[in-house]
Amino acid sequence: MSLSVSSTAAMRFGYGLRPSEASIAGPDELLAQVERGAAEAPLFPQEGIAGRREQVVRYRANTQELAARKKRGEPTEEQSRSLNKEAAAHFRRDAEARISQAVLSHNGFHERLSSFWTNHFAIDASKSQMMRLAVPMFEAEVIRPLLSGRFSDLVRTVSLHPAMLLYLDQFQSIGPNSVMGLQRGKGINENFARELIELHTLGVAGGYSQDDVRQAAYVLSGLTLDLESMEVGFRPRRAEPGIFSVLGNTYGGEKRLIEDCLDLIDDLSVHPSTAKHVCRKLAKHFVSDEPPQALVDAMVAAWIGSDGYLMQVYKALLDHPAAWEKPSAKIKLPFDYVVSSLRAFDVDEAIMLSAATRTDASAFDRMMMDTEPKPMQAGSAVTVRTGPNVLRRMGQQIWMPPSPAGFEDDSVSWMNANQLTERISWARHLASNLGKDRDPREFAKAVLADAARDETMKIVGQAPSKAVGVTLVLASPEFNRR
Amino acid sequence: MSDSIPISRRGFIASACCLAAAPVLTPLTMAAMPGDNRFIAIVLRGAMDGLALVQPHGDPLLKQLRPDLALSQNDGLLDLDGFFGLHPAASELMPLWTAGELSLVHSVSTPYRNARSHFDGQDILETGGSSADRLRSGWLNRTLSVMSQPAAAIDVSTSRDLILSGPNKSEVWSTQSDITLDGDALQFLMRLYRNDPVFSTAMAEAVGVDDFSDQLYGESKRGQGVLEVARLAGGLLREQYRVAAFSIGGWDTHVRQTSDFAKAARQLAVAITTLKEALGSDAWSKTAVVAMTEFGRTVRQNGSAGTDHGTGSCCVMAGGAIKGGHVLGRWGGLGEGDLLDGRDLMPTGDVREVAAAMLYRQFDVPISALTSSIFPGLDFSNRSAYL
Repeated sequence: MSLSVSSTAAMRFGYGLRPSEASIAGPDELLAQVERGAAEAPLFPQEGIAGRREQVVRYRANTQELAARKKRGEPTEEQSRSLNKEAAAHFRRDAEARISQAVLSHNGFHERLSSFWTNHFAIDASKSQMMRLAVPMFEAEVIRPLLSGRFSDLVRTVSLHPAMLLYLDQFQSIGPNSVMGLQRGKGINENFARELIELHTLGVAGGYSQDDVRQAAYVLSGLTLDLESMEVGFRPRRAEPGIFSVLGNTYGGEKRLIEDCLDLIDDLSVHPSTAKHVCRKLAKHFVSDEPPQALVDAMVAAWIGSDGYLMQVYKALLDHPAAWEKPSAKIKLPFDYVVSSLRAFDVDEAIMLSAATRTDASAFDRMMMDTEPKPMQAGSAVTVRTGPNVLRRMGQQIWMPPSPAGFEDDSVSWMNANQLTERISWARHLASNLGKDRDPREFAKAVLADAARDETMKIVGQAPSKAVGVTLVLASPEFNRR
Repeated sequence: MSDSIPISRRGFIASACCLAAAPVLTPLTMAAMPGDNRFIAIVLRGAMDGLALVQPHGDPLLKQLRPDLALSQNDGLLDLDGFFGLHPAASELMPLWTAGELSLVHSVSTPYRNARSHFDGQDILETGGSSADRLRSGWLNRTLSVMSQPAAAIDVSTSRDLILSGPNKSEVWSTQSDITLDGDALQFLMRLYRNDPVFSTAMAEAVGVDDFSDQLYGESKRGQGVLEVARLAGGLLREQYRVAAFSIGGWDTHVRQTSDFAKAARQLAVAITTLKEALGSDAWSKTAVVAMTEFGRTVRQNGSAGTDHGTGSCCVMAGGAIKGGHVLGRWGGLGEGDLLDGRDLMPTGDVREVAAAMLYRQFDVPISALTSSIFPGLDFSNRSAYL
């Protein structure tokens, strides 16, 4: 069994049907979405990428100054609190804008790919206030524009971004026999080298050893960032001297250079295990927890044939018949569920953006203090604002994956008693705020289209009120699946 | 939503379940069967540094290898047996140690070797096999079908953890979950899910466990920290549940280990003492808790006053049903030749044996099952030191 091309395109490769959007005719239109999306600036970070860079540098300077004053015994608590509050408010607004972006964008496939790659190169905003400012910038600056290019360019740019080097402690890694290592008695931190190989490129079954990880960490020593300027660069004084061997290739020499690091990253990104690992992960994300091997093989062939040009890999995915078969194989992730439910109501720009641009630090404080959210006021902006909280309760807090491996991507992780309870309660909340004037049967036709089961249509038609009917549509198995 | 059918929640459940024809385990049927013993698995995610939690202060090499991390009794380290000491951040556990309700097992690990990936390491910890077994279900889930008496199991989490995933029924509930639907709307949802087993099962479980947690919480606040998770787990186990799992993170101390480790160790201590409190003395006396991690950390501190991924770590056993007051396991030493690959604490025991011993003691799980379907390849007998 399969659904119409337009339904599959919207549900499996996008964030669900949005009634006011034109229907999608096939793979070419999805690929065009990727090109368009890559060229557009997202709604976050609020002050733009350059503005956010300045903001991060300013934040660092302010915290350094406060630390110095504290050392001198001056009172700093109040200022430090207000600084943290400001960073938290920025993050809160960005997280709402992340939802708005996915809801409003006409480039659904690009949005879905942005989520996929942000999760593939997972970095966690909860690590520090600095990371709260840096993660939205990372996605906007690196992931979104580069996901339509070559994989090796994507990996290299990700690996040279301050947010990644901060998150995986690379800026703490110093060759023990480097000038600085000998002076200060410092050593290697393996974290970044390990995740680069295990998660970003070869994959855990990709055929590497602990020695490869250790040697890669030596090669990468020297790659660091200046915390004052947030600029990434290579410091020979920190780099372990010598020649190192990773997966049979050698790097380094008497004089250590940034090229050693770049060569290593390039070699990892073109390793045969990398294409297999990443293609399988993509197929698993979009199609099925156990994707057909023929589909994965076709994507790997496209990868190899194009030197890792990702548009060709996406094309191979979309051109394969298996990508359009067996609908509803996967349970939506919580983020997909929340976004698609807002799209179902055709929530418009005015509402989303008013929620995304207002300043309300107190809402964030409540979230952090984990008090019950206050009762909902009328109006949809409030609905959108609750999105980040709801996602936390569902276990997929925006930009806060539980580990460098990202959020789980399989159905079994995302449906259980707790998950269903949270989803029903969100559906009910939306229905009572946005769905009172909707005819549930019309609503079902518009958002479920040919995915609707006969029994769902029947039960929705019998609902005792419009609000219950609309809730049932959003709570239905077919709306929770894709 | 409509309140048109005035019907009590409990009364409603029975009728809605018949209506839904779903395989439902309601609180009423659960009450009939299970034994009295309890088991709780705490997964310490991120690789807990066993050498920081239980420090061999009697070994002078420790201070040499970890100048910034090794503690002495002057720093507050709590001596246990003259050689090992407990990290001061876990001091709340000392009354349990004194009462014989706490044991620590040193230098244990899963069969996972040589790759040191958190994610593979946790998969192996939770599936109970080795890399080669490629198991897809959790050992605690598989145990549910070989117990002498049926036991209701619950994962206190927002999403299902591997340790309780698998063919046998287990539930997932978080401290935040709360159904606030009236009977009328519930009835429609049950019908909506009738022909989708994944959804009908989730719904039936939600209704059942919601009833318990409503009773536990009453009108009080539902927080989400470790303390709240332990309180919910303990409360559910005091009632009809017998097996529970939850996780504590924050152990991946690559950088500035001193402060981060203390935070995580405090959480572990809070979790265990809260379980005891929530279970009450009768249920606690029939409870075994095992806290285990995917692997340990490097013996030497790294370049950033932290530690990197290692192998051997330690495991915490607690509860009124255990043989407490001992540091168990075989200490292999910290000398150059004693370490695994020259860097990690050499594992001298299989952490799965600790879990197996508890399952054997608590639920009469046959040894033949423990050493095959539950923990493939495990060496375990009724003379295990952990019994």
